[in-house]
Amino acid sequence: MKSNQDQSTNSVLASLEKISLSFGGIDVLIDVSMNIFRGELLALIGPNGAGKTSLINCISGFYKPKSGHVFLNSLDISALGPVKRAKLGISRTFQNIELYSGLSVLDNLMAARQNFMTYGIIAAGIFFGKARRQEIRNREVIEDIIDLLELEAIRKTVVEDLPYGFRKRVDLGRALSSEPGLLLLDEPMAGMNSEEKEDMARFILDVKELWGTSMMIIEHDMGVVMDISDRIFVLNYGRRISEGTPEEVKNDPEVIRAYLGE
Amino acid sequence: MIPRSFGHILGNKKRNRAKTMLDQSQSLADTLPKLLLGYYKKFGHSKVALREKTRGIWVKYTWADYYSIVRHLATAFLELGIHKYEKVAIIGETKPHVYWYELAALACGGQVLGIFPDSSPSEMKYFLSHSESTFVVCQGQEQVDKILKIKDECPYLKRVIYWELKGMWSYEHPLLITMDEMIKIGKKCVEKDPDLFEKMIKGTKADDAAIFLYSSGTKDLPKAAVHSHWGILKLVDMLDRIVSARETDQTVSFLPLALIGEQLLNLAYSLFKGFTVNFPERHETVRENIREVGPHFIFLSPSLWEAFIKTIRVKIENAGFLRRFCFETALKVGYRIGDARMLGKKADLLMRLVNILSDKVVFRPLRDRLGFSRTRTGIVFGATVNSDVIRYFHAIGVPLLQAYGSVESPIITIHSKNLIKPGSSGQALRGSELKISEEGEILIKSPFLFQEYYKDPEETVKVIKEGWYYTGDYGRINEDGQLIVIDRMDALQQIKGDKRFSPQYSEIRLRSSPYIKNCVVLGHVERDYASAIINIDYDSVGRWAEANGIAYATFTDLRQNQGVISLLKKEIETVNKYLCESAVIKKFIILHKEFDPDEGELTRDHKLRRDFVRDKYDNLVEALFGNEEKIDFTTSISYQDGTKAELKSLLSINRI
Repeated sequence: MKSNQDQSTNSVLASLEKISLSFGGIDVLIDVSMNIFRGELLALIGPNGAGKTSLINCISGFYKPKSGHVFLNSLDISALGPVKRAKLGISRTFQNIELYSGLSVLDNLMAARQNFMTYGIIAAGIFFGKARRQEIRNREVIEDIIDLLELEAIRKTVVEDLPYGFRKRVDLGRALSSEPGLLLLDEPMAGMNSEEKEDMARFILDVKELWGTSMMIIEHDMGVVMDISDRIFVLNYGRRISEGTPEEVKNDPEVIRAYLGE
Repeated sequence: MIPRSFGHILGNKKRNRAKTMLDQSQSLADTLPKLLLGYYKKFGHSKVALREKTRGIWVKYTWADYYSIVRHLATAFLELGIHKYEKVAIIGETKPHVYWYELAALACGGQVLGIFPDSSPSEMKYFLSHSESTFVVCQGQEQVDKILKIKDECPYLKRVIYWELKGMWSYEHPLLITMDEMIKIGKKCVEKDPDLFEKMIKGTKADDAAIFLYSSGTKDLPKAAVHSHWGILKLVDMLDRIVSARETDQTVSFLPLALIGEQLLNLAYSLFKGFTVNFPERHETVRENIREVGPHFIFLSPSLWEAFIKTIRVKIENAGFLRRFCFETALKVGYRIGDARMLGKKADLLMRLVNILSDKVVFRPLRDRLGFSRTRTGIVFGATVNSDVIRYFHAIGVPLLQAYGSVESPIITIHSKNLIKPGSSGQALRGSELKISEEGEILIKSPFLFQEYYKDPEETVKVIKEGWYYTGDYGRINEDGQLIVIDRMDALQQIKGDKRFSPQYSEIRLRSSPYIKNCVVLGHVERDYASAIINIDYDSVGRWAEANGIAYATFTDLRQNQGVISLLKKEIETVNKYLCESAVIKKFIILHKEFDPDEGELTRDHKLRRDFVRDKYDNLVEALFGNEEKIDFTTSISYQDGTKAELKSLLSINRI
């Protein structure tokens, strides 16, 4: 994994070019350009209302920007909807956990693998040949995720019976199920206690190390951000105000001003 | 002298073909690796030896797989430079890997010690340097991190082996080697010399030291009791005459290798008898996995058996009226039947008829729920077990035996079927002799005692005198020759008027309350009563509070609530009825935290370190025997990563 990261740190996985987004008369994002490199963990920070979630929505295709382009593997995907982008390997988690609350953890994760199911309803019914092979393959991938995120004990628990911290973990698992090349994490640690945050940070690093997944993470806990991210991108009022390694960003007067409101 | 042959594993006359495959020397399987070889030749791929749940599936290892993995690991050990009599420490949750490594090390003539996987780095350092371990086998990242932290202080260390790759992808250290790499090395060695492993096995000797069992160190530093292959196997042989396991049996193994019970009742016993051992997926899934396996024979620590009862109680309390009525009526009948069966008698006809019905309606589904529907024998390992626990399981149809032992003499007594007197720990195993010294100490003379304390001949001489092992436990023998263990000799508490009582007895009674998780009972030489420090069970007290309309936000709220305090008063009053006059508890404190092995209050196997607790909470103890109503208390808390914090709390001293 390490060598993989070394060779590819310079290659761009996804990039945004002069993205602008507005709701009515309010400018949410103004000319934001950024690169996401292969295998990196990029943190997106900024005060409340800076436009972080909107930016993620622009990448995943939930929002259509007013102007600008989104590239994935040098391919312009600006015109594609969220489903097609997901098929190209963009996956995300949600601030307010989006899972099927009546299904078990296992079923939630399996459902997220629908991109890898190509059999028809009849084949699924008799569970033979392709359907069976794919189902087994899908379950194997899910079991790897269960193992990584330590979900064994709740595999068959219905999601609505789970405490909040576990649901967040399952949401991450759901996002991983589609084997994404780019994972967008929208506040994966919000509302967690420090022990749960520590676990989550460990899982995120494990994912990065094991599968080399490129990740963009929105997080408010600066301690965690500084600890785990390779690079930080700072937004304020829809504009890019700083970008760089944790050390650089920490000492950037612009960032300090944005946070402390000098 | 007792004959040294364990040739019974070959004794099945119907398997003529298998028999002829064996050469003569194999019939003298007197070491653990030789037993493995024997079963490999007998069963090959035709029978499952180990089964592990991983990635949601039960993965099987036949005797041939088992043999082949151990063979590769053992030859790789040789290649890595293991010498005879070197020690191999194994740190990890119990998984098949633990068995493979233990046998591989033993086949090389090495000796094995188990270390609790949640031990702190300093504890690990003690075990590794005291035992002079040259190889450490770790489960994964957590243990490897701890070992790498202390590696410079362990001069004997040659290699650190691990089998779980998770989180270890970018670790690079000359000491580290994975199990897969070892298997690769082993494969090359086996190609070069296919007979090497069998030769190694034949070179193992029955009298050689095989296993180190560390005492839990309730008082001072743990000591290592050394056991030979022969001692262990002979003990298992004697045990088998009581338990009589079958080759086709299933057991579940998940307790750490550092416990005697695990070494003896699962690892050694399975090799002796050839049954299948199943390993749960994770610690959190143990109960679910036990149910999937349906073990025929299972051994658990007293607290786990107690936990089963607590679960049943809580579920029944929350059930509707009809279910509760059915259960309680059935239980009454069950007790009558169980009590009779424990003594090998039959209850009266009417009871037996009613029990047919209650077994069908209540107990069989209950046993199925717990995973005990096929259980022929349960074993609870411990000196003093609440006799109600044993009666309870007999009542619901799970025959539970109590065994008593220590690291020095792993089984001193055990109940024999049809002679189970609750409160006693059963009789001495065949071939051993039991007596009580003038001071009331339990002494045992038996051929399967430990060989010595490692590097500590003085201590060895202190506890073994003229062939008798001095257990340090206080007890008596009843009219049936059954042993009643009362407490550690030095744990007996003195109160005013030179009276003594056993705190452990009271503690066990208290712990059987669903609301009490742990407790310590103390006496004072100038006071004529006993006092208790109590850890409440947050879950069940919380549930009780909800059911009774008591609002609370935190543990502190709950603990200080008057309702909760009077609930505990009632629980203690119930226990007091069973206690002798000198042991009656008159004051208690609900502690602001739970006792924890990380803070030294418990040993790693969750035994109470009474003296330590008494010293640590000395001002609390003083207050308990003084006149104060409340006490301000400051404690320092140490977290697992070694950081410390201070905690202030107000504790009220409650009178009964």
